[in-house]
Amino acid sequence: MYSGAACAAAVEDFFANEVWVKVGAQTCLECHKAGGDAEDSDFVLLDPVRSPGHAQDDILRRNREQFVQMAKLKKGDQSRLLLKAVGKLNHEGKQAIKPDSEGYRVLAEFVRRLNDPSGAIAARPSAEDKNALPFFDGIVMLDDRKLLRRVTLSLAGRLPTDAESAAVASQGRKALPALLDAMLKDDAFYTRLREGFNDIFLTSGYDDVPENALSYEHFSTTRGWTEKFDLSQIADEKARQQARYKLSDDYRKAILGEPMKLIEYIVRNDRPFSEIVTADYIMVTPYTARGYGIYEELRPKFKNPDDPFEYIPVKLKALVGRDKPDDQESATGFYPHAGLLSNFQYLKRYPTTETNRNRQRARVYFQQFLGIDVLELAARVSDAAAVSKKYEIPTMQASECVVCHKTVDPVAGLFQDYWKFEGVYGRRKGGWFKDMFPAGYEGEDLPAAERWRGLQWLGERTAKDPRFAVAMVEHAYYILTGRKALRPPKDIDDPLFAARRRAYQEQRKQIEAMAVRFASGGFNLKGVFKDWVESEFYRADGLASAAATPQRRAELDDVGLMRMLAPEQVERKVAAIFGQPWGKLKEEQMAMLYGGIDSKEVTERAADPSGAMGAIQRILANDVAMKQTAMDFSRPSAERRLFPDIDPDVVPGTSPEADAKIRRAIVHLHERVLGRYDTPDSPEVERTYKLFAGIVADAAGHKDIGKEENWFGRQGLLAPVPDPKYTVRAWRAVVTYLLRRPEFLYE
Amino acid sequence: MRRDFLKLCGLVGLSLACPGGVSSLLRAATKEDPPYDGPYYVVFNASGGWDTTYLMDPKGINEINRLYKEGDILTKGRHKFAPTAKQIKAGMSNEDFYKEFGDELLVLNGLDYSVNNHSPGARYMATGKLDSMAYPTFAALVAACKGPACPLSFLTFGNYSATGNVVAMSRVPYLPSLQKIANADGIDGNQRSPYHDDFALSRIEQALRDENESRAMPAPSPSEGPALSPSKGPVRLPRQERSENMLYAAQVNSKALERITPYIPKGIPKGRLEQQAEIALASFKAGVCVSANLTIGQFDSHANNDADQMKLIPEFLAGIAYLVRRAEALKIREKLVVVVQSEMGRTPTYNNGNGKDHWSIGSIMFLGPGIRGNRVIGATDEKQFHVPLDPQSLACNKDTGIRVRPEHIHTTLRQFAGIADHPLSKKFPLGVLEKEKLQGLLG
Repeated sequence: MYSGAACAAAVEDFFANEVWVKVGAQTCLECHKAGGDAEDSDFVLLDPVRSPGHAQDDILRRNREQFVQMAKLKKGDQSRLLLKAVGKLNHEGKQAIKPDSEGYRVLAEFVRRLNDPSGAIAARPSAEDKNALPFFDGIVMLDDRKLLRRVTLSLAGRLPTDAESAAVASQGRKALPALLDAMLKDDAFYTRLREGFNDIFLTSGYDDVPENALSYEHFSTTRGWTEKFDLSQIADEKARQQARYKLSDDYRKAILGEPMKLIEYIVRNDRPFSEIVTADYIMVTPYTARGYGIYEELRPKFKNPDDPFEYIPVKLKALVGRDKPDDQESATGFYPHAGLLSNFQYLKRYPTTETNRNRQRARVYFQQFLGIDVLELAARVSDAAAVSKKYEIPTMQASECVVCHKTVDPVAGLFQDYWKFEGVYGRRKGGWFKDMFPAGYEGEDLPAAERWRGLQWLGERTAKDPRFAVAMVEHAYYILTGRKALRPPKDIDDPLFAARRRAYQEQRKQIEAMAVRFASGGFNLKGVFKDWVESEFYRADGLASAAATPQRRAELDDVGLMRMLAPEQVERKVAAIFGQPWGKLKEEQMAMLYGGIDSKEVTERAADPSGAMGAIQRILANDVAMKQTAMDFSRPSAERRLFPDIDPDVVPGTSPEADAKIRRAIVHLHERVLGRYDTPDSPEVERTYKLFAGIVADAAGHKDIGKEENWFGRQGLLAPVPDPKYTVRAWRAVVTYLLRRPEFLYE
Repeated sequence: MRRDFLKLCGLVGLSLACPGGVSSLLRAATKEDPPYDGPYYVVFNASGGWDTTYLMDPKGINEINRLYKEGDILTKGRHKFAPTAKQIKAGMSNEDFYKEFGDELLVLNGLDYSVNNHSPGARYMATGKLDSMAYPTFAALVAACKGPACPLSFLTFGNYSATGNVVAMSRVPYLPSLQKIANADGIDGNQRSPYHDDFALSRIEQALRDENESRAMPAPSPSEGPALSPSKGPVRLPRQERSENMLYAAQVNSKALERITPYIPKGIPKGRLEQQAEIALASFKAGVCVSANLTIGQFDSHANNDADQMKLIPEFLAGIAYLVRRAEALKIREKLVVVVQSEMGRTPTYNNGNGKDHWSIGSIMFLGPGIRGNRVIGATDEKQFHVPLDPQSLACNKDTGIRVRPEHIHTTLRQFAGIADHPLSKKFPLGVLEKEKLQGLLG
């Protein structure tokens, strides 16, 4: 038997980095945990992911002890741990790992080390390299000016103000927290926030007219109020009809906007973000309040009762149905609001069916609020069809099914009062299903007296679950980067497994540390955004030298923001730089073609550009340059955004002063369009200069070239902009060139 | 220039960074590629789970279905299929489908989808790998291997469409969208009204090429010290390299979309699959696309199985027929490989209502050049359980047979497409033992 602290430490490392990572977490934990199929066995593990970072070491130690105890037990001369793992000794989980697999080799090594501590350390290296340099060693961080531009464009949809730039120039990154505090109060931030969280919750994408989120059984007389609204003051019939269309459109937009306005309200008012699962109110506007039939009582609370989009919080009374059975049970007389969980639009977006039994809602709940994809690694059953037939209730009896359903079905049961397939609220006749695990949460049953407020009960537990804070930190990362947080690598035979594992662990450490701060600081989401912006993951911008090994490249594979802008972001960036958006990416067809989502069928944004998107980038560059170049020259110099210090009469090659002026103009364009801070003599500026000068020279050789800008480029000019030397068109080509570059199209 | 670029790519190790490797990047970065000339791959998805007993695996016993009896089952050559002509109100009956395509149709019955949930089932059927979110679909993989420089190399209209970062996914939801992007350098798509004079556009492209090449300049090794300089800036992170290369390739390759204009049909067909088919066919014909993922949903017939399946299967078959006929008209049928699948089947019994729930045993169909038709491989028994299949003889055999799962199908498809040994395929191994490979399944 082994003994001694040094050996214990070595085994502990080996356990944490090999046994747990490759076997325990991936295989054993599925069943051997509280609530799992093997919860009654002698081998019960804890999931470290469910605890805050500082407690995870203790949990790993406890899990290791379980492995040690099992490894010590023997059948003949073989460890029960190894025998059970390969399906012997009546292991109910059958063969969990194959005898010739990496997982088995790791377990065998673990057992060998326990039995032979003297040769343990040299025998098999741990996946973790203790001598590795710090993860961000050799990574170049974004300089402060570029960081300010990146975050301002990302969160506020604009370029930094002069004051913001000056603050960063004088104080460096220290100025950032205060600037972010102000930026996170901008209305533009809340547009971005709503857009970002809709990418996650997709609440604007349900299949039906928006007002039908208000169920017919409870709102039949009010939800269609726009059809009968008195517009008799408009004499002209056509105008009256148009007004009614607008009324209806605004009403529908306001209804669709309610869930994300809840998020805005919470964040804008520095309320705990856990209110997305606990808020005892919804957001309504003067228009949607009419749909709920509560406009008159709320009217005094609105600043402008005619504003379709002024949202205020309100607590609904318990629903009253057209028929008595549709009346909502409520001990308080109020609708049991639980943030998004009980929100009509949210429930409508994720409906149930007779056979689905709210399981989809439960799956989505785990994904969106706890960051767990219960279907991500659905176990392959040796014969799923046979299992279906063998058991009367496979989801409660077959171990292959129970492993997930024991977690999912209780949460599905918490949604049991929302059982209308068309509407939202409604109880199932005859009560909830008996052939499902009863309503509850992670092993705790829902008390019968709490059934009417089951979602509130769920929300309260969700907010306390450490996984909630982690999931919200991951959501903020997704909004900022456009990609999901790394998942743990699964392929333990991959030669780069250790490198990928390190990348995951480093990011995970960051996420968990932020989650702890988030939870302990009262769930203020703004703090999470600020944390991310200041993090090395957000600021990483390059390498001091080429990555030396494939392992290092694998570690750094996901580091660096480099996010292709979504259609909405491209439009905002064009507006920030040129003063007005392009507009074409606001059209649904074009936005979809450019990788956008409709929140219904297409729910994930394209991460990489296809050829179709490449074509749109070219169209955008051509079109925006066409509209903005001559237009900018037509303004007085002081009002120009692109060419404040140069006019079209400055021709390259005519004098050193002219060339210097052109180079300075290019420096300005690089900064404005690309966010680059080049010097006039830099190769980058030289390349752009060559482009400009080359085109002007080429044009001089074409005798048939016109003396003014293209007809399309002359439209709407504030003053004539002649182009006798082709300089305006050459500048347009420069702007086109810049708009096609990654510095513009990515962030 | 081309040679220089290759050299630069090699020096900075882009084979690691670029999803398609050096060669794909090189192709992507030049304008010299000829149009992709086939084969073209189309994967049809019956999303939601089809009832195979109403199509290629009929069962007239054990109350498995309510619309026909054992004696009503029809045949065409070696195919057995369910009679549907009397049930359907629109679309294409099984009778008509088999009459037209039976001779070239290959059916595999008794496929073990292995799971009973939509999401993992769709992933497994699309990629051949159940327990990974990182694997590309077959359509994405074949596009990356055969046509990485095609601007719409992998088209998808829904269903599981992960790319494994080996190729960009293209969504073109509407036919008119093709017209909008076909001529990006003409004002409002009009070639006769260019934004820039030719010489100016040429210089823009040259500047972008120079700029892209300068980014790919070799970086110093760690021993050579930091690469930071005012002119050069830091060495790119792997993610930056990858993204910038993909962006440049997307813009350059998009020029090939000009070829698509003549093949955009004037009228827009009404059917869901027919619209998707036209976009795919125009893209194939123009040589800008390798594969397409066509899909319709709502097969998840828990409530009214017979009514739903009798509406959707005919619509599905009509879509397949439309694609094949239009390919014939466009003279590319001989290059068109079609895979027809769903992520699960329906139970052999009805639930408490009129619906059928999820069933993990089902079928898949193939047709196209190199695929020997008029064949049915594998089987289910009288209770709709799988019957083991001998991978060598392709005969049902309880002693020597195996459970045919999606990885077996994908291994076969990769071999058939000639991409099994491509580095990208090897990056996503399927782990099928040599002795379990289905010998001669397709041809």
